[in-house]
Formats: sequence, structure tokens, C-alpha cells
Amino acid sequence: MTPLLAIQNYTLDYATSAGPVRVLHDISLQIAPGEVLGLVGESGSGKSSLAWALMRHLPDNAREVAGSLRLGDIDLQRLGPKELTRIRGRRLGMVFQDPSTSLNPTLTIGTQITEALIQHRDLKPREADALAVDLLGHVDLHDPAAIMRRYPHEISGGEKQRVIIATAFGCRPDVILFDEPTTALDVISGARILELFARLRAETGVAALYISHDLALVTRVADRVAVLKHGRLVEQAPATEIFRAPRHADTRALVEAVPRPERRLVHDRPSGVVLLAASDIDVHYGNAGLFRKAAPPATKKIGLDVCAGEILGLVGESGSGKSSMARALTGLARFSGRITFDDRVIHGARDMNAAYRRDVQIVFQHPDSSLNPRHKVDQILSRPLKLYGGDAADIPRLLDQVRLPASYAGRWPHQLSGGEKQRVAIARAFAARPKLVICDEITAPLDVSVQAQIIELLLALRAETGTAFLFITHDLNLIRQIAHRIAVMRRGEVVDLLPVENFDMDHVHPYTRELMAASPVPVG
Amino acid sequence: MIELFIRLLRRPQGFIGVVLLLLVAAACLFGSALAPYAPEKIDFLGRFRAPGWQNWLGADQFGRDILSRLMVGARSTVPMALIATFIGSAAGAIIGVGSAYLGGRSDEAIMRTNDAMMAIPGLLLALLLVSTLGNGASNAVIAIAVAFAPGMARVTRSVALNVRNQDYVKAAIARGESASWIIFREMLPNVMAPIVIESTIRVSFAVMLFATLSFLGVGAQPPASEWGLMVADARQYMHQAPWGLIAPSGAIALTAIAFNLVGDGLRDALNPKDER
Repeated sequence: MTPLLAIQNYTLDYATSAGPVRVLHDISLQIAPGEVLGLVGESGSGKSSLAWALMRHLPDNAREVAGSLRLGDIDLQRLGPKELTRIRGRRLGMVFQDPSTSLNPTLTIGTQITEALIQHRDLKPREADALAVDLLGHVDLHDPAAIMRRYPHEISGGEKQRVIIATAFGCRPDVILFDEPTTALDVISGARILELFARLRAETGVAALYISHDLALVTRVADRVAVLKHGRLVEQAPATEIFRAPRHADTRALVEAVPRPERRLVHDRPSGVVLLAASDIDVHYGNAGLFRKAAPPATKKIGLDVCAGEILGLVGESGSGKSSMARALTGLARFSGRITFDDRVIHGARDMNAAYRRDVQIVFQHPDSSLNPRHKVDQILSRPLKLYGGDAADIPRLLDQVRLPASYAGRWPHQLSGGEKQRVAIARAFAARPKLVICDEITAPLDVSVQAQIIELLLALRAETGTAFLFITHDLNLIRQIAHRIAVMRRGEVVDLLPVENFDMDHVHPYTRELMAASPVPVG
Repeated sequence: MIELFIRLLRRPQGFIGVVLLLLVAAACLFGSALAPYAPEKIDFLGRFRAPGWQNWLGADQFGRDILSRLMVGARSTVPMALIATFIGSAAGAIIGVGSAYLGGRSDEAIMRTNDAMMAIPGLLLALLLVSTLGNGASNAVIAIAVAFAPGMARVTRSVALNVRNQDYVKAAIARGESASWIIFREMLPNVMAPIVIESTIRVSFAVMLFATLSFLGVGAQPPASEWGLMVADARQYMHQAPWGLIAPSGAIALTAIAFNLVGDGLRDALNPKDER
């Protein structure tokens, strides 16, 4: 059978001030009609560059060195701007990573869909309207006619992604490129988008290139999987085989890094001595103004306790109040209720003395924003030492503790990779020799393989120091590997608080079951 | 830093601005040595002499050489404007960052007071202050600084609000850092770029405001050769000797344009996203 989309020996360079940088080496891939090819790789492996090359939307400094890109019998590299408009959307659709930025905030949903339909399917406005309502209904949006009149900020992220998918499918392209379409969504909406994709694909028989860093996810949606590493194709295999029998070492590393709940990484039991007990915590944002009421509390009378040396997991979808809890416990958000720590009762941020500040440390989600870009690594690490007592000579030891070379002390944050920045943030937290470290989704922006390394590091640090962790995440598979107990949060309430071994039992909350269904254990 | 300077020079407006500024700087540093005549040398035979080989830019009502007066006067005009802008920007930046850091009611109180200050036109505020403090160049500098601070505070606050929400500031708060450390060491360095750009552009306003105050007779006092004062002196003889008016006005305009161009160039050079 002739392939629908064929990439032959494609090589791409980016011209930079430091000379050309090769991002794709000699890539050859084919997608047959109706086939879904998964493309997996770490960030920086060149997978998005490949998608942009196919859409012919490369940055100005890109240099195509060799190879060809063909869609059916069309040579994509030879198309002029006019012919491209006829190909894009009509024969080659694309769904982007972040739905919040891929819709125009000043136009209604209806205008944006019908515009694409009128452009690509030569419909009259009235026909386009009718078709748009039909398409939106088909992607399981309630009351499509009402959605058509709304603006993008009036619908949720999952709904936006559905609108984009409806538009992409509605133009009936031959191939659709998906660039991490569920990464920006929470677990449950992501899982629903995947179900929708599987259904639409079965109905329309469209071919697709599905790009993701998550090998487990790709094996669920794709027929074949290609693994990309540093711009080179290292392995191509049917999805059912790649997980069970990865041939290449890099693929094996990716498979190993995927968290599986049955592979426990923590084997000890916590002492049972309660370290921190929080009860009736209501987190408030914003004051009541002259003309407006205060926003309702982000959490509703939450109680949690963490034992010395314990790893307590806190899971829930975005907006469930898990990060608000972290902010309350570190005095970053106003809260009511009480926290008992080391026999001291704390009613607000004012009661948190230097000893509490030292003992409870937080590591934030985004490594890019948690390090001050104008401070070098040694200055960042010297602050907690100065505040809590310690010696600047300790910095090499701190860096060594997080497996970074001592020479990194003189670097600026922008010279580090995401995983390295997160290591510096962890070193900063551990510089205070804390009793409890709150990890607020610290691995969410990282690749699966980097995530595995960070988790390994945290567990090693725990073995060394006996620190307890409050580990906030939305990845249930990951937390079931490491936590002793897991609290499940939903809309500001704790719906379940279970020891990890009770998770497979029947008496869990329905929402917990839904979360577990949305994060299936990888096949194989 | 050097890389930034090269990027600045690559842009046409940056290059022209820097060249003009170098000329102004040379006049400030070596003006009195390079001037062909002493600025106060009176020549009764050469009253209102038109520009020519004797006096390149002409002579004024006392026969004083205008070019010499301009070159010497640069020292009493441009550095004053720079000092005023520096004081105003620094005060404004600290108020803005502090207000963003405190947030809530304190932020509201500071910014509303700031708004009230901004409602008074800059020149009027400066005049008011000088008439209260008394005439003189140093009081004019203070008046201009006070007039500039609210605008800077507003610009800085808007940038600082973004920085305030960054995790490194939250980390510092959670660590129990003092307010002054957070304001001066964590936040201020990260809002410097817009402050530097804004204040370069403001220097040109300061030059003009300072000249205006001198023109109105409340800034520098005669017989100083401050540029605004020169314009004021030459005004009476505008029809007899227009060069007496044109030369200092041109000098003020050129300096203002130079700072403006450098400010624009810096804005582009400091924004690496713009690099093509």
C-alpha cells in the first residue's frame, strides 16, 4: 500500500549564533491511510520540530538539509503560500498542546469553527453553522448551540480541546497531527479526550501522527510507535510490542521510567509519630472589597496529618485545592483552622516562627520560576544556610547531595536544564535540614525519564535524612509507587484518605475509582 | 553587558543616539577647555554678531560667544537632568516594588496617593515645589525628581506584580526572608530592564523640564549659561538675533532626542525575543 504521509531521510538544522544545530537526523517515517503513528521522545528530541516541518511552519532560522516530505503525491517542500493554504486544515490538520492559547480569545467558538468550515469545505455560512452544531454535538459537548455563542474563556480546557478536535475532524483532512493534546489537561479530562479520539478515529478512519513524551499513553492510542532521541529515530515497532519487548536501550529506559503502581519503591513503614496535624483548614484568596464579596474558600475544612518520615500523597484534578493546601502549610495563603507542629499550635502565617519555617520546606512545580534568574546557584543555596544557620562551605556538599557537580555553583539558572533546576530547588529545600518537605507537582513539567530520576533522588534523600514528604501530584500511578498513604481531593474536600495497599479494594470513593480508571496501568 | 552594547549599536536609532550622547558627554567633560572663548567674556563690538568665522553660532546681546556658552552650559544642564532622573527613578522604583510586594490594602493606599500625585501636571508640581523651596538649580533637581517618581512607581509596580507571583519570591517568603531582602535582592533586579529603559527616555523630559524651569526664572540663575536660561535671555532679542534662541533650543532638542533614541534602542536590545 502506498503511504499517505511519507518522510524520507529528512534532516533539519537550526542556524544559531553558535553555528548550525542539527535537530533531526535522517528521519524516515511512513503513515499508511487510517493508521495512527505515535511519536515518542523527551523534550528537545525534535518531535515538535517534525510536526512544524510537516505543517510547513518552521522558524526563519530552520535549514532543511536533506530529505523529502510527501503527503500522498504532493511534495510539501515545494508548495507556495497559496497552495499551502489549500493543504493546511483541508488535507493536513493539527491539534496543539495548549487549548487555552490555540483559540482566539476575542472571537466566539461558533465564528472560529464556521470560519474553518467555510474556508476548507466551501460551505455557505448557514450550512457551516448547521454542520458546526452537529460536529460539536458529536464530540460530546452539551448544548452545542449555546457553546457556539460562547467565548473561549467561558468554557473549560477540556471543552476547548474538544472544540479544536471537532474543527480538525470537521474539515475532513487526510492526516491530523496531534502535538501532546492532553498534556495541558488534568487526568480525567485527558482520559476523556483520548476516548473521544479513539471513537472519532474508528468512525472516520483518519490517519494521525500522535506526538507525546508519555510512552504509556502513546501505546494506548497508536498502532505503531516511533521513538525519537536527540533527533534520531532509535526504534519503530507496533504499539503492542514496544512495551513488552523494547529492543533499543533508549526505548527500554523510557519503558522503565513509566511509573507502575505495582512496582513499589518504598518498603519501610513510617514511625506513627504525628509530625504535623492540620485540621479545619479553609484557604482564602482575596479580601472582600467595598463592592464585592470575598471569594469562597478554596478548601473546605480539611484535616490532614503527616507522620515523621512518612510520604503522604495528595492527588486530585486541577482546581481541587491541593496546591492551596501547600500554600496554607507554608504560610503563603491566608487560612483559618489550625496546624499543630511539634506541639506548637499555629493559627495563621504570623504564628510561623523561624523554627517552623526551617522544618517545613516547599519545592514548587515550575523549576523555571522557582529560581531567581538574577542569582547564581551558590547564592540561591547560600540563603537558607545564612537564615537557618549553616556554612557557605556546605554548598558543594548540597550540590553533591542532589547529584550535581560542585562546579554548578557558579552557574546561572538559565544555564541549567529543567531537571537540573529542579535539583537545585530540592537542594535549597534540604539545605535547611527540614523535617517535612512539601512537593507541589514537582515532576509535572518534566519528562517521564527525568521524573524517574527526580523521584529516585527524593527517595535517596529521605533514606539519608528521614524527612517526611507531602507529595502533591495528579499522577496516581506515580504516587502509588512511593506513598504510604494517599489523600484524594475533589473540589476542596478530601474524599478519601487511604493507606496505599487499600487502593485496590472496593470501598473506595467513586471519585477515586474514576481517577484510577483515568490513569490506567500501562499494558505489558 | 558588552554584548548588550553591541546589540544596541547594531540598531540605527541606538547608534545615532550613542554618537549624539558621546558628543554631549564630551561637552560636559571638556566643554570649558575646548570652548574658543570664556563664557562670560563680554565683547561690546561684537553684540548680536551673526554666525560666522568669529563666532560660529553667533553672539548674544553682550557679545558673548554662544557656542562657548553652550559648551560650558552643558555641564550645568545635562548632569542636573541625569541626577534628577536618577533620584526620581530610584525612589519610584522602590515605591513601586514595595507596593507590589506588600499588596492588599497597603498597595491600594500607596497607589491611590500616587495617582493623586500624578493628577498634578509635572511642570506645575515642579513649579510648586521650587516656589516653596526657593529658587536655584539644586532645588529644581529635587522638584523634577519628585515630579518623576509617581510615574516610575506606576511602571515599576506593573512589572513587579508579575515578579511577585513568581515562585522564587514565594520561596523567599516561605523561607522567612525579611521584606527588605525580598524587595531589594529578589524583586528589584528582575524589574531593572523596564526601569532602565523608562528612565533613559525620561532624561530627555528632565532636560526639557529643567530648561523650562530655568526659562521661567526659578531654576539656574544668571549669569549661568544653563541652556534654558540662555533661551530665556535671548527671547527679548528674538527678532534682532534669532540665533541666540535657536542654538540653545537646538541643543536641548538634540540632547532630548539622543536620550530618547538610546532609550528606544535599549528597549529593543534588552528584549531578546525580538532578535531575528
